[in-house]
Amino acid sequence: MKQHKKALVLWIGAVLLLLIGALLAGFHGRTESVQQAMRDAVLHDVNQISLLGLKAVNPGLISAFLVTGLILLAAALIRVLVIPRFQYIPGKFQLALEEAVGLFHGMAQNSSPHRYGFVGAYIFAAGAYIFFGTLFELLGLQGITIHGHPVTLPAPLSDVNAAIALGTLSYLVILSGGIAANGAKGVGKTLKEFSLPISMSFRLFGALLSGLLVTELVYYYVNLSFVLPVIVGVMFTLLHALIQTYVLTMLVSMYYGEVSEPSHKAKS
Amino acid sequence: MPLNIDLQQILLHWMNLAILTGGLYLLLYKPVKDFMTKREEHYRQLDEQAAEKLAQAERVQAEYQARLDGADEEIHQARARAQQAIQQSTEDQLAKAREQARQIVAHAQTEAEHSRERVLRESQRELRKLAAQATKKLAFHVDPFDQFLDLAEEGEEYEE
Repeated sequence: MKQHKKALVLWIGAVLLLLIGALLAGFHGRTESVQQAMRDAVLHDVNQISLLGLKAVNPGLISAFLVTGLILLAAALIRVLVIPRFQYIPGKFQLALEEAVGLFHGMAQNSSPHRYGFVGAYIFAAGAYIFFGTLFELLGLQGITIHGHPVTLPAPLSDVNAAIALGTLSYLVILSGGIAANGAKGVGKTLKEFSLPISMSFRLFGALLSGLLVTELVYYYVNLSFVLPVIVGVMFTLLHALIQTYVLTMLVSMYYGEVSEPSHKAKS
Repeated sequence: MPLNIDLQQILLHWMNLAILTGGLYLLLYKPVKDFMTKREEHYRQLDEQAAEKLAQAERVQAEYQARLDGADEEIHQARARAQQAIQQSTEDQLAKAREQARQIVAHAQTEAEHSRERVLRESQRELRKLAAQATKKLAFHVDPFDQFLDLAEEGEEYEE
């Protein structure tokens, strides 16, 4: 009981300290209007970040590199520290890893029973990228724009270039499955779904962008910055992360299965 | 381009996704899947071994059941043989007893016959003796009254 009281006092103290710090830091005025902020969240044409001094790029690309780096770093640590200690009777973390791999492997196997090795690996990576990339915006990491202003790094897929890249790459993966299984006929089958890369790209972009815009709006006004971000964070980040991961991986595995299905010649 | 679409950035995103896909496949997807396959194989082998042991146990059980059934039959046969032997032995004993009884009776009959013949012979001899004495006395004219008395005296002696 005493411990609970102590923790409560510490928590309230920390909140008050942060509030005082925020008040003391002062408000230096907006660098942009809400219209400009929303427009930039969609287009990323103002607040760009320099990529190693070579080129000014959208903050989404920096986020994408950071997300990939963090995921690969975590994967490397797991590979070195956890996987060699795997047991036949798994612990909680091992079970979670096996569930994640088994989920995408099973999805690929069920949707594309004739050829699922490569698509399983691809949807695992794509799923991890969408899920952790969407959650990445909750970290609120800051980047400095080429104009010297700080900007919060967004979810990579809220950048239209990232969404187009993922949508078109997914389409190419599906196309590769068609070619590997059915050759020219597979190409034909895949090309029939010509609207797929556009629909996948803009579905991702629209879903992630809507979350980003709501979050931008909420954080733009100080009055909305209490309690509401918790709900917005869950509604537009966590649920988007789960839903978009499921939608894209399911679509890719289904179309891959469809185009890679061996064609049966009609018996004369 | 509209919407700030930039081909160079798209290509950079592709590169990023290719690195991520390859890296995750090598670092996480493949090792975890390999381990899951290995565990599946391990449990499949255990399952096969258990099935094999079960089949072996069933075979041994059937074998022992067959032996048990054979033992029952053997016991049944042994009991029948023992009963037959007892029956035979009883009959032999009975036959022997009957033979002994017959021999005893025959012997007793023979003994009785011999006794009867001996008594008969002795009686005949006595009668002949008496007849001879009587004849002798009659032949030498002896007073019949004295003779009777003498004979009576001799008869009493003989009875004693």
